[in-house]
Amino acid sequence: MIPWFTYSRPNSLKDAVKQLSVPGTRLHAGGTDLLGCLRDGVVAADKLVSISHLAELRGITRTGNGSVRIGALTTLTEIAEHPYIMEHYAALSEGASSAASPQLRNQGTIGGNISQRPRCWYFRGDFHCLRKGGEACYAVAGENQFHCIVGGQSCFIVHPSDTAPALIALEARVRITGPQGTRTLPLESFFVGPQKDFTRENVLDAGDILTEILLPAPAANHRSSYRKVRARGAWDFALAGVALSVRFSNGIVQLARIVLSGVAPVPWRVREAEKIVTGKEIDDETASQAAAACVKDAVPLAKNEYKLHLVRGVVEEALLAMKQA
Amino acid sequence: MRTDSVNYMGESPPETQGQAGTLTPWEETTVVGKPLPRVDAYERVSGSAVYTQDIVLPGMLYGAILRCPHAHAKVKHVDTGKAAKMPGVHGIITDSTPGANIPWYHGAKGAMSRLFDPHCRHEGEEVAAVAAESPHQAWDAAKAITVEYERLPFVTDIEDAMNSGAPPVHEGGNRDGDSSVYQRGDTAKGFAEADVVLEETYRTSFEIHTPMETHASVAQWDGNRLTVWDSTQGVFAVQSSLAESLGLPLSSVRVACHYMGGGFGSKLDLSKHTVIAALLARMAARPVKVTLTREESFLCVGNRPANIIKLKAGVKKDGTLTALELTNLGSGGAYPASSSVGYLVRDLYLCPNVHVDETNVFINAGTARAMRAPGFPQCAWALEQTMDALAEKIGVDPVEFRVNIIPTVSQVRNNMPFTSTGLKRCLLEGAKAFRWKEARERPRQDGPIRRGVGVAAGMWGWEGETVSTAIVKLFADGSVNLNIGASDIGTGTKTVMAMVVAEELGVPLEKIQIEYADTGTTSYAPGSGGSQTVVANAPAVRKGAVEVRNQLLELAADELKRPVGELVLKDGAIQTTAEPIKKVPISDLQILQRRQMIVGVGYRDRGPEGKVALPFVAQFAEVEVNIRTGETKVVRFLAAHDSGRALNSLTFENQVFGGIAMGIGFATTEQRILDSRQTGKMVNANWHDYKIPTAMDVPVDQTCISIDPHDKECNNTGAKGLGEPATIPAAAAIANAVYHATGVRLKQAPITPMQMLSLLAQQQEGGNR
Repeated sequence: MIPWFTYSRPNSLKDAVKQLSVPGTRLHAGGTDLLGCLRDGVVAADKLVSISHLAELRGITRTGNGSVRIGALTTLTEIAEHPYIMEHYAALSEGASSAASPQLRNQGTIGGNISQRPRCWYFRGDFHCLRKGGEACYAVAGENQFHCIVGGQSCFIVHPSDTAPALIALEARVRITGPQGTRTLPLESFFVGPQKDFTRENVLDAGDILTEILLPAPAANHRSSYRKVRARGAWDFALAGVALSVRFSNGIVQLARIVLSGVAPVPWRVREAEKIVTGKEIDDETASQAAAACVKDAVPLAKNEYKLHLVRGVVEEALLAMKQA
Repeated sequence: MRTDSVNYMGESPPETQGQAGTLTPWEETTVVGKPLPRVDAYERVSGSAVYTQDIVLPGMLYGAILRCPHAHAKVKHVDTGKAAKMPGVHGIITDSTPGANIPWYHGAKGAMSRLFDPHCRHEGEEVAAVAAESPHQAWDAAKAITVEYERLPFVTDIEDAMNSGAPPVHEGGNRDGDSSVYQRGDTAKGFAEADVVLEETYRTSFEIHTPMETHASVAQWDGNRLTVWDSTQGVFAVQSSLAESLGLPLSSVRVACHYMGGGFGSKLDLSKHTVIAALLARMAARPVKVTLTREESFLCVGNRPANIIKLKAGVKKDGTLTALELTNLGSGGAYPASSSVGYLVRDLYLCPNVHVDETNVFINAGTARAMRAPGFPQCAWALEQTMDALAEKIGVDPVEFRVNIIPTVSQVRNNMPFTSTGLKRCLLEGAKAFRWKEARERPRQDGPIRRGVGVAAGMWGWEGETVSTAIVKLFADGSVNLNIGASDIGTGTKTVMAMVVAEELGVPLEKIQIEYADTGTTSYAPGSGGSQTVVANAPAVRKGAVEVRNQLLELAADELKRPVGELVLKDGAIQTTAEPIKKVPISDLQILQRRQMIVGVGYRDRGPEGKVALPFVAQFAEVEVNIRTGETKVVRFLAAHDSGRALNSLTFENQVFGGIAMGIGFATTEQRILDSRQTGKMVNANWHDYKIPTAMDVPVDQTCISIDPHDKECNNTGAKGLGEPATIPAAAAIANAVYHATGVRLKQAPITPMQMLSLLAQQQEGGNR
């Protein structure tokens, strides 16, 4: 049963920031995960502050210099089906369309998808785990088949977003408005791993609202993709996935970004793999070497060693597919 | 001790007295067999259908149940003081409440627990319950009850439970009685005669039924009489268990279930929440509704047992099976519930020497309930993969191999003949329609995507009860009321039964009113489960309709002064077959206007003497395996079913497609996961983490073929059961297709990408045979 809370729908971003600065409040946007979290006691709230009708936070616009601004309230469906995004930022549209289910994508927002809470079943379930203020991470000795193989420390979640790896590959920045004003930062710096702070997944503080995502203007000879592997054909999070963003020149990779999903507590960028393919043609050998580099530092838990094979397989497949595209 | 019966209910079916004049199945039909949409499709789709969860009665309260959060614990103290004072609360019951001490879970030595037993043997056992004005108040109050638990060591792993030092789930250890043993012939001799002997251990996972509508009951008292609306597959089973629990005569307990959102076996029996609703309603003197949450439905209302099945099989080069030996270790959970699987090994193929040894073990997890073909998909998983491997070893096509070892008698019933077996036709006609040879002989690809095809066969081993009574009433205007005790659990029972009436009386379906599944107003019918709903009820309905027709023709003969033999009932009118031709609409008959109604009662005949009527199936799957990522996609599926006559080819097909989807779940996604090494609690008690297949997991290319052997003996409709066979071999067919595609044999269900990747890696290293 969803516990009692009060609900407020301020008319301006400024008012929303003010209301959200009060302890016990939580931001409501698409609400697809928040209401479930409240019902299950994963999070608590005295008051929900809804930004759902702030029109300025919604929509996809192109600026004069060709860059793209996506309002945080834009739904995953709107992004997945947007012709310009599909053409120039394929990884993002593929990430958005592979998330959740059609109903959830119609309601769920890009801002929510990026800042969603982890899906670890100990965190979500009736277990007083470390991230919820308990003593220990149950995944260490427990059912850890869906947990991280890299970047874990004291807590072993994976970041559940499919759009975030794509956006990082595409060099997206995010704008945050908070009590101290507005700041922008690369999305890559938005996420916080458990080594730093196991109680949070990103830099958002009380009163902070993620308002928009900024994508650089599309470059020539640029291609991107997102490939996700899951245990079920829909409504399932990534066992592992990979976002690729590559700039070619005469078949040679000029610039590459390789970001993994489903393997780490944050979207996991693998610079070493990027280096391997840069300056080369993508062929079986470079793909295989880059894929191997993606799991070089991985230390699997008792039940997720398969992810080593999986990451290698999916990265190899995605790189070779990009060459053929 | 469990009996070694062929029936999963553990008893031979009782029978109602047959009427004189046995009917034989129709030669030709005008309504039966057509692909007709459901008579209640509009109500179901528009939302006007009232399900148990939708029922709201004046003054009704809502119940909530506090459950043990631990895998194994003793309740030391329950304090309801704070909860009782909370707003809207009208009643709280615990183990110490007078009248709540109701025995539950019966074993060989009597009851092994009670309604609120302080010894909680699995997560989710009932500790207390609250009735309040709103669901929120009830849940808030339930949470405000403080319980002091003494946590006990637990065991949730089947093999661990068999260890001598394992924490005992019950006093006297974790074995649920002695092992059950079946033996025919001499397996040692059989293996000695074999040219090839294979032995392998197969494992399956616990599955949860998760019907769309979670379990719910509404209880209302009127003095000492209790009415319960229950989301159930069997109102009469609930009525009798509920009456016994409450010490009431059957006449004081009325149980009804109208629209129902699935059960798959988890709603065949009385559940604790139903008794709790009744107790709360009596205490509060108000009606009470208890609706289980999705999470509760994962813990407390049944599951399909997991099994560890060791299967040894011997075959001669000519394809003759010489011996089959199955050892099963399974668990029905914390209380007695069958986990046996051995039927198919004993009866599906000709084999003179068979040995089956099955052990059920208690663990600290929810108690099993029948789940769509209890035991059969597990056995098919082992047997049908073994058959595939044997065929390969002797160099024979798997379809051909099976075709040559099909029995015409039930070997487990002292070679009693089947009334019909269409298994050979299922295999051959299915293979042809699937283009099996072509797909099978396609060269194996070297690329990352591997395609393969597989086949598996099956049968269902239970004929169902032969007890059912149907009442058919003809109104004076020629329209009809059909009264049956069966639940329509979403399979189209109402539609099919109305079609049988329409066939006999020529009444359009929209002029048939259906009253069903209410112990107060309908006659006994067995629970809608075990593939018995059509075979138990349709023959009785047909007899009731024929009875009406016969009475009507006799009355018309009097009135029209014609011999009864010269009258027929057609298109709502009495017509003469001899000159002068006359046609009198039923509503014009004076006698019917005076009597206003003709009532026909139909009883189910006994089953065929000395024969057994069972359905058969062969299913074919095509899969694509991505060997880089371990993804397995079922891309094509064909099911060929001998379930006798298909009474409605549309609901028939839907039943089969649903069964295939469940098979795909068994094969690729579904498994209960317990935190075995830390807390024993279920970690995936929700619909995201417990993965039932979605539309994206089911192939677009699905075909259902009905193989009708024109069985004249099974019953007067020629129909055999369908619900269980549809899901029995599906997972094994998929596993065999994966083997064909990759050369990897899948011993553990489900085939997740996780498992597939590990097996493929082993294969690379030469570890997989």
